Amino acid sequence: MPPLSPSPRRDFLRTTSCGFGALALHQLAAAATDPAAARLPGEPRATRVIFLFMQGGPSQPDLFDPKELIRRRHGAPVTPPVDTTVETIGIDRYLALAPIAPLAPRGQSGIVISDLLPWTARIADDICLLRGMVADNNQHAPATLQFHTGSTTDVRPSMGSWISYGLGTENADLPGFVTIHPDNDVRTYGAGFLPARHQGLRLVVPAGAAPPIDNLVDPAARPEVQRARIDMVQRQNRRLLAAVGGDDLMEGMIESMETAFRMQTTAPGFVDLSGESKATLEAYGIGGRETDRNGRACLLARRLSEAGVRFVQVTMGGWDHHGNIRGALPASCRGSDQPAAALVLDLKARGLLDDTLVVWSGEFGRTPWSQDLSGTAPIDQHGREHQPEGFCTWLAGGGVRAGFCFGETDDFGWKPVAGRVHLHDLHATILHQLGIDHTRLTWRHAGRDFRLTDVHGRIVREILA
Amino acid sequence: MQPASVVERCRTIGGGVSRWLAVAAALLVGRLATATEPAADPAFFTERVLPILEARCFECHSHGAAIEGGLALDSAGGWRQGGDSGPAIVPGRPDESLLVRAVRHLDPAVTMPPTGRLPDAEIATLVAWITAGAPDPRGGDSPAPRGAVDVAGGRAHWAFQPVADPTPPPVADGAWPLDDVDRFILARLEGAGLRPAADADGHAWLRRVSFDLTGLPPSPAEIAAFVADTSPLARARVVDRLLASRAFAERQARRWLDLTGYADQMGTSNDVFAEHAWRYRDWVIGAFDADLPYDSFVRAQIAGDLLPAAGPEERAAGITATGFLVLGDVEIVAVDKHKLDLDLVDQQVTKVGTAFLGMTLGCVRCHDHKFDPVGLEDYYGIAGTFASSRSVHKIPVGVWSKVNEVELPESDRQRAERLLRAEEHAERTADLKRQRERLDEQRRALDGRIEKAVEREAARGGEPAAEEDKPSVLLKGERDRIASEIGRLDRDITHAEFFAPRVPRAFAVSDAPAPADMAIRIRGNHRAPGRVVPRGVLRVACQGEPPTMPPDASGRRELAEWIADARNPLTARVAVNRIWQQLFGAGIVRSVDNFGTRGEAPTHPELLDRLSTDFVRDGWSVKRLVRRLALSRSYAMASAPPVAADPADRLLARMPRRRLDAEAIRDAVLAVSGRLVESRGGPALPLEIVENAGGLTDTVNPPSFRFARFRREQEFVRTLYLPIIRSAPQPGPARLREVFDFTPPATFAGTRSQTVVPTQALFLLNDPFMKARAADLARLVLEARPDRDGRLAALWIRVLGRPITAEEAADAGALLDSVSAGSADEPAAWAELCHALLASNEFLITL
Repeated sequence: MPPLSPSPRRDFLRTTSCGFGALALHQLAAAATDPAAARLPGEPRATRVIFLFMQGGPSQPDLFDPKELIRRRHGAPVTPPVDTTVETIGIDRYLALAPIAPLAPRGQSGIVISDLLPWTARIADDICLLRGMVADNNQHAPATLQFHTGSTTDVRPSMGSWISYGLGTENADLPGFVTIHPDNDVRTYGAGFLPARHQGLRLVVPAGAAPPIDNLVDPAARPEVQRARIDMVQRQNRRLLAAVGGDDLMEGMIESMETAFRMQTTAPGFVDLSGESKATLEAYGIGGRETDRNGRACLLARRLSEAGVRFVQVTMGGWDHHGNIRGALPASCRGSDQPAAALVLDLKARGLLDDTLVVWSGEFGRTPWSQDLSGTAPIDQHGREHQPEGFCTWLAGGGVRAGFCFGETDDFGWKPVAGRVHLHDLHATILHQLGIDHTRLTWRHAGRDFRLTDVHGRIVREILA
Repeated sequence: MQPASVVERCRTIGGGVSRWLAVAAALLVGRLATATEPAADPAFFTERVLPILEARCFECHSHGAAIEGGLALDSAGGWRQGGDSGPAIVPGRPDESLLVRAVRHLDPAVTMPPTGRLPDAEIATLVAWITAGAPDPRGGDSPAPRGAVDVAGGRAHWAFQPVADPTPPPVADGAWPLDDVDRFILARLEGAGLRPAADADGHAWLRRVSFDLTGLPPSPAEIAAFVADTSPLARARVVDRLLASRAFAERQARRWLDLTGYADQMGTSNDVFAEHAWRYRDWVIGAFDADLPYDSFVRAQIAGDLLPAAGPEERAAGITATGFLVLGDVEIVAVDKHKLDLDLVDQQVTKVGTAFLGMTLGCVRCHDHKFDPVGLEDYYGIAGTFASSRSVHKIPVGVWSKVNEVELPESDRQRAERLLRAEEHAERTADLKRQRERLDEQRRALDGRIEKAVEREAARGGEPAAEEDKPSVLLKGERDRIASEIGRLDRDITHAEFFAPRVPRAFAVSDAPAPADMAIRIRGNHRAPGRVVPRGVLRVACQGEPPTMPPDASGRRELAEWIADARNPLTARVAVNRIWQQLFGAGIVRSVDNFGTRGEAPTHPELLDRLSTDFVRDGWSVKRLVRRLALSRSYAMASAPPVAADPADRLLARMPRRRLDAEAIRDAVLAVSGRLVESRGGPALPLEIVENAGGLTDTVNPPSFRFARFRREQEFVRTLYLPIIRSAPQPGPARLREVFDFTPPATFAGTRSQTVVPTQALFLLNDPFMKARAADLARLVLEARPDRDGRLAALWIRVLGRPITAEEAADAGALLDSVSAGSADEPAAWAELCHALLASNEFLITL
């Protein structure tokens, strides 16, 4: 049983008075260790995380990690040390594909960033670029799942859920974990075996009249009619309580009904950006043809983060460039570059960047050689295949070294040769910055203590400020 | 690697500066060693080799830290005995020494250290030492203990003890018990100074037993019949009626599917349809419907294809049953096919362990079990039987694999029916092709007319020549319409040909051509084979001799027979405990999937053994067991408030209250609103709707599904029959699963979590499904009776299964009056009242 506190009634009122509070009842054979026991001594360097998830696999050979050998051999075969026993498609010739746009050192730090990301180039001295990232799987679903939960299969809690569980809530009226425009796979924001209140709340930044949360509005009844109906429900519920005696389950359901009713009026306010200045809206690219959606999502992320949500995720899709990367990658960059950079600058201007860790990453990267699924297209219409090793992630704020580049890949840009950071290591490091010992944040499930990092994870101390 | 990065790395290893100095020294010495150092001198080891081992290896291979792969390098005995792959060093023969092969990265499976290759000089030092005979002054008399699993000692754990045949204990209140079950329960209550709760009233009992056995509420007619039946056999008649209904089998089947990872999707990538998965689901329903003995139920799912069969239908059933082994989350897009194979084997071992044995075997892929007496020999012994079976294979579409399909034998009647359907289908397909042919002719004719019209118009300087033919712009419009019609027909023809009636198939396993024992994989790494272990079973649960595995078959049948053996201490207990949980809310062993040492101890161990013994004696009949429990006095207790002395209900002083699960909520709403439609099963995915199938002829990705439309009746069939997918929120009519704690279809779990979150209340308040069914219910009630009082009484019976009280009737009347805009009994007002009842706790909870 999860810990129903010694005074269940009072604890119950506290947890459910919050807008998103919840009770996990009768979770048999599940037991919490105290998450406080996993807290590291001293002040944590970060108190919240914003994860900008570039779904599909951004092309690091084009954006951050160009290689002279590849540029020189453009269109000609190269002979990387690949494992020939794995199945491949459309890359059998290993044709080098030079970056599709120029790259240059930026800022004081000289971090190399593509011309395709002019806004990111402006925050070069604020970010820490990791160039030796490693995931275990080169397919979207398992790699995406691993980025979020540590596991390529199975149903485990998402890192946002672990963080919500580990840190508790900072603002009782808000959930600990919000995910904006998430991937379809519910497991990426699921709480797994953790109590459901740690599940990511899925938000859609409203385009038009659509509600940001499922079933937030009654499609038919007038408000006073709905209220009359709820009152009837609650009178029935209280009569039942009086007749058969109370318990946590029934009382929880009664409270939850009231909370839901209140959410109908409070939740739309979370996504209301009308109070923001024109300058702010413009900075995020809100109103721009290609940047509006991601700009709204990033600005909302800042607002939620500022209000105390521990983990906010914004998913920006469209990075899966198997073909015609020359034609398609620039548009993906334009849609995300300005909003992501604006978020970092905005956090910085508000003094929030110091204790907010921003993470920008895809689930993996792409090959330095080309992929051609048709087998007949000319090289300038080729794309790139997935690459789970040696891809790039950047971090900003949260006690991470700014203007720092860590990790190096081989001459092809295929495998890391220094500064290898596995996803487990990234998870361990994120938790560490939040003041959590990743080896001690556990939950007992099916007879075993589970962790976000399973039995792995190295804190990447080299990148800590 | 440059010395500078060595410094960096050693710091990260955590050795500190002194460790770094040692390595730097070793580096230096290593260079010399390649020349003429006396490597046979023991001092060479102490001064030059040991520092390398300490800095590079001890973090994972020493008693002070960890003994990964069973290999310890902190004693001479450690490397002589070696780890899972055998001795690490062959003195005098560096090329044959695994340690050297590992540090030289000769075998991609074992590259050491995992953080990066050693400097060449260090490797040279190690080689020189081994060449010189590997003198190790630390001594070799005391090899590092292998940490072997203590199987004999492990048998002391209660779950591995033979099932006993206990007699019921004496009780003070001899009048209370109706069955031995009640004596075991009452004895413990009396021992704690507690009394069982009073009996539940008849309405509550009927509603409880109906939901527990079938997942559906009792109908008004069933309630009336029960109330009218004054015979002492009234309850037995109800239970027998419920057990005989298909709804019982449907309910049981869904609970079983929670343990299998079942979905109508293969893997999680790209929405690949598992078009035959439903056959396994229907087989499970059929098995519970026919009360297939549980031991046969076990055997069929592990080795149904290998068991004798009386005819083609029984043979087909046996094959279909093995879908159990392949219908979990199989990552068919994995590019490393060797890894895919072993991941699937792991899933099969884990699933068999969880579902049938209540053991967490998955942990043992990488290491001996940390808590239970289960070792690598056990895991890889069982895994060998699945590795010797065919479960998944590469297909010529991109990088993809597919779950194994097996053609099912047909009876003569089934074959004749299929051929008839195929004939009709072929005729329809031919008709589509004829239509396409005609349209193609029209298009060609139009092409000619357009060409001429364009010529004429060009001759007139762009002026249309209306007297000869229509203007080219109109003709082109006609042609485009026809072209799009042809496009639609092409899609229909492709679809018709893809889904043409064929010999039925099921996702199933079959024996591989060359069965073999399997090598342990070091740390679970598929590319790191260690020693081979014979195929076998879980040693700690063996009551007699373990079965002998055949050289020419996978051994699945032997494994199945061993699990289904009455002497297996786990199988019957685990099964009985699951059924107890269904009826009493929690198992006698609360960790229903974990009977190991980290699981919970049984609250009533003698009762569990009594029931298990009787279960086997009764021919492993699930229905008899359910009947017995449902008719006990214990099951009839009222769901009184929690007892202070037993807050977790471990002693069962009352019936715990339970909220309906996702399926029961949706099915009950459909039932009480008169909309539930019976289904006999069949394909869950509506792939016969052309828009729902995609990529049928793609060469890069396999065919996939989407949900453009559902079959009309899918809005109204039981939730069990709706499509289940892994990679997205549950679709369409099944979306309610997402809200009410459905077990995600990649896990194997015998318990659903039960959460209370506001999103559930929002669903109950606002979802269109709730509103539509409330309106249906209102119509039903309004049509049934002419007067308000009669209608209210009927509504309460229908939804809550009990008579309405005077207070409730007055309250409901007031609501009707207050929300009615016009006449007091308008349907909209009744719909609000009905909606309120459907969202009320009493409807959502079994008392």
